Amino acid sequence: MPLPLSYSLRNLQARPGRSVMTACIIALVVVACALLLGLISSLKQTFVRSGNPMNLVVMRKGSDNDGASQLAVQAFQAIRFFDGIARDAADQPLVSPELVVQPFFRTRGGGRENVLVRGVEPVALAVHEQVRITQGRMFTPSAHEAVVGRAVLGRYAGAELGNELEFGRGRWKVVGILEAGGASFESEVWVDVRELANDAKRPYPYSGIRLRVATPADFEPLQRRIGDDPRYALEALRETDYYAKQAKSANALYVLVVGIAVLAGIGAGFGASNTMYAAVQARTAEIGTLRALGFSRGAILSAFEIEAVALSLVGFLLGAVAALALSRLLEWWLGSLAFGASTFTTNVITLHLSSADLAGACGLALTIGIGGGLGPAWRAARLRPIEALRKA
Amino acid sequence: MQMRVAEPIIAIHHVSRRYVRGVDEVHALEDVSLSIPQGHFAGFMGPSGSGKSTLLNLVSGIDRPTSGEVIVAGQRLNDLSEDELAHWRARHVGLIFQFFNLIPVLSSRDNVALPLLLTHLSKAERLRRAEVALGIVDLGHRLHHLPRTLSGGEQQRVAIARAIVTDPDLIVADEPTGDLDARNAEAILSLLRQLKQDFGKTVVMVTHDPRALRYVDDAYHLDKGLLLEGEDAERARAALLVAAGHGAAPTGAAAGVRAQP
Amino acid sequence: MKYLGLVFANLRRSKLRSAMTGAAIMLAVLLVCLLLTMPAGLDALLDNLASNTRISVHNKAGIVYSMPQSFVRKVRQVDGVAAAAAITWFGGAYEEAGRVTFPNFAVEVEHVGAVYPDYPISAEHLADFKRYRDGALVGRQIMRKYRWKIGDRVTLRSTVWPVNLDVRIVGEIADDHSPYLWMSTEYVDQALKAQGREGLGIANVVWARASDPSRVNAIMRAVDELSRNSEAETACETEKSFFSNMFGSLQSFVTIILIVTALVSLCIVFIAANTASMAVRERAGEIAVLKAIGFGRRVIFATLLAETLLLSALAGGAGVLLAVALTRALRMFSGWSEALGPLAVFIITGPVIVQGIVLSLCVGMLAGVVPAYGAARKSVAETLHEIF
Repeated sequence: MPLPLSYSLRNLQARPGRSVMTACIIALVVVACALLLGLISSLKQTFVRSGNPMNLVVMRKGSDNDGASQLAVQAFQAIRFFDGIARDAADQPLVSPELVVQPFFRTRGGGRENVLVRGVEPVALAVHEQVRITQGRMFTPSAHEAVVGRAVLGRYAGAELGNELEFGRGRWKVVGILEAGGASFESEVWVDVRELANDAKRPYPYSGIRLRVATPADFEPLQRRIGDDPRYALEALRETDYYAKQAKSANALYVLVVGIAVLAGIGAGFGASNTMYAAVQARTAEIGTLRALGFSRGAILSAFEIEAVALSLVGFLLGAVAALALSRLLEWWLGSLAFGASTFTTNVITLHLSSADLAGACGLALTIGIGGGLGPAWRAARLRPIEALRKA
Repeated sequence: MQMRVAEPIIAIHHVSRRYVRGVDEVHALEDVSLSIPQGHFAGFMGPSGSGKSTLLNLVSGIDRPTSGEVIVAGQRLNDLSEDELAHWRARHVGLIFQFFNLIPVLSSRDNVALPLLLTHLSKAERLRRAEVALGIVDLGHRLHHLPRTLSGGEQQRVAIARAIVTDPDLIVADEPTGDLDARNAEAILSLLRQLKQDFGKTVVMVTHDPRALRYVDDAYHLDKGLLLEGEDAERARAALLVAAGHGAAPTGAAAGVRAQP
Repeated sequence: MKYLGLVFANLRRSKLRSAMTGAAIMLAVLLVCLLLTMPAGLDALLDNLASNTRISVHNKAGIVYSMPQSFVRKVRQVDGVAAAAAITWFGGAYEEAGRVTFPNFAVEVEHVGAVYPDYPISAEHLADFKRYRDGALVGRQIMRKYRWKIGDRVTLRSTVWPVNLDVRIVGEIADDHSPYLWMSTEYVDQALKAQGREGLGIANVVWARASDPSRVNAIMRAVDELSRNSEAETACETEKSFFSNMFGSLQSFVTIILIVTALVSLCIVFIAANTASMAVRERAGEIAVLKAIGFGRRVIFATLLAETLLLSALAGGAGVLLAVALTRALRMFSGWSEALGPLAVFIITGPVIVQGIVLSLCVGMLAGVVPAYGAARKSVAETLHEIF
């Protein structure tokens, strides 16, 4: 016959100071863990959202990002008319030639970062479906105009609509703001590809091509055809795969999360354990009485484990609230966060704690509670009634 | 011509002790006056709540009266601050309690040497004096034992050794036999009496143990914060003896009444 | 000092509790040390590898916007310039890693030594670098990460130039934090020409060393003046400013790390304080007896605080030692696979050790002070009342 839940909960209430302190210990680990998990997931989200499952990224063989690649005009002309490429209403192939350059931009805080400027032709809007101009309009080719991503507007100085934004070797008039549902394009500035090539003095006007395949069955033949072409050393990658590779750089951060979960988690576990051992010590007579009354060892064990779990849940709740508040505070204080996923580019992200992140932190809290409570619960369960009562 | 009587070592004048507990004001002691001559073995007796422990605390400088004055060994305790009282206690008083006497993680010798940490003696000297004190209470063979390996009676003897190691003027014991069986209790009482007889120490003891009446020179009876005198004291004493079960006559002098064994 | 025995005895009282608290502190301090390696590493790079006489000359528009290689000759002629070397981003991916994992550049071998005389490169290695066209100098951080030795051959697949290069490691930049690989401009140039292309005609940065710190500003102005109105207008900055800007984008990350460090530190304080308050509460009677015997409030406070401080200092110290040992071990393991690569970045330096020790002491103080004060402050009579 198990002990009622209220037994465990009442005991926590009986020593509120100690319970709160122990809960705080767990809460702090939860906050640290949630924050880092949120960071990683926010970073990965930008990449996940950036890949269109029907798009291909064509780059020079061996480049690991489109900023490092170069692609000849002839290559573009040839690929345009390959089979399997989707076409728009006017029967034009959805192939977007692009040039990626990373000039310096000044942040609002006075720092200097490399921002990805993508030289495109108007067809780019059709190929990158999720990108929409939400304010203003798309730039007019040859007019030295630019549209800036929402995140760029937030982080860098002078990117407001109507402003003349200085980057590269000239000034560009901001005529539109683009949004892309949180994708990495929001950290980019889009301009006319020819003007960009001129500005950056690139011998090759393009660095890569993005294109839409007509049907999923066309992926493989197209990839093979592009990759095998002897004239140009190119490779074609599914856009989703391309961004998945970029996302891998965030994986290094998991090392930190594991470190915290293991080291801080064990530490907090010991802290909780101390509290529970003291509780067992103080309640020795009580346990003896319960055992004498007929409660089994299992019942005692469960009761104490439940107490530990309840403590860790309280700790998780405190920690979750604190983590959410902290992420808001960071957003207010730091604005956006910048991360360099690949060399020379900055991804601007906002720290957002998803429910998966909180679930992970909750799992950690429960592990701490269950693990930390195990020793004391075991000791309580093993107390022999006679000895326990004698100690009183 | 009688010699002028020596100054009493303890003089208490119209002392009251009141404190607030929750919403009530408790009158632990009300207008108590007494004086204890040097070298006497005095007992404060009475039921629980009578104020005897409070009185003991005032005498040993652990507590301060709400009104009245306490003079011990020529020092008016009212004049001393909290920290000065601690300092004074270290040099003038040896204390024995009913529980929590000994530090469980220290050996007997280290426990006895504890008060000497407050002096400037070298470590070797501290340990030597501790050993001497343990010898006096007949525990010289238990120097390195931890308290948990000693019996209740032995633990109290260690506590007594600690109380005398600084050679204080006054030894104060709060219910020293409270937790002991008959044989050990008698041994402790006897030891305390020995301290008075062989070393001339003044011993003040709080107890509700009727056996104590056989060992003390003076017994002070308290009830509800008041010091009983005259007939009331007699009645209290008689009641104690009856409670002891045998109503046997004491061997020591108590409240001026002598009786045959 | 004479109370030390008492303090130690009290710690031994509940061995399990002291051990667990100590272990918790040790692990948490270990974690903090590991976390702090990142900001400390950046600081070290700034301190060790940045000099106050070096100037970075790069295109005003950005490093990615290059300059003609020939510009370096003009820079060399500017008054006050002791040496200048053109550096071009090679962007090589080490085959095993699959992507660019450390900065690698083509440099002018004849001049780079004069621009970086403060870098710990032995004269012999520098001579070999000049002598062997396919030679490379590698920073110690990378040597350790991939367990390379002098004499090893390494293939780098450039992600920006259409060449793969096989280089031979002829020397080491002997600083633990140096992440660079330098190869010869000639070598890259040759490889490109062999493919029928134009050679390596551009440089991303020209590094110049001033003969004296006082000449730096004048040099920067002169160089910018030289390039004004050309196709590659330059913006000069000191090396410190260059690194600052580069690390600026890492600032967010560092901030998060520091926040997490603060959270973990606070956690340790709570764990230690929890233990201290439990100990004090359980020993209330004993403490009262000590006070009764005559131990003053200050002594009681000091011995109680000393207990927490001692435990914290010992455990924290152990944590720091463990951090040093662990990072050495991690460096060994990190060479085993790419996934573990990041583990090599944990380098415990002097400042981190000091920070770890200071943390341990502060934890002890903060955690112990309130319980110790509370216990010391209570009047004897009050406590005895509660007990008896």
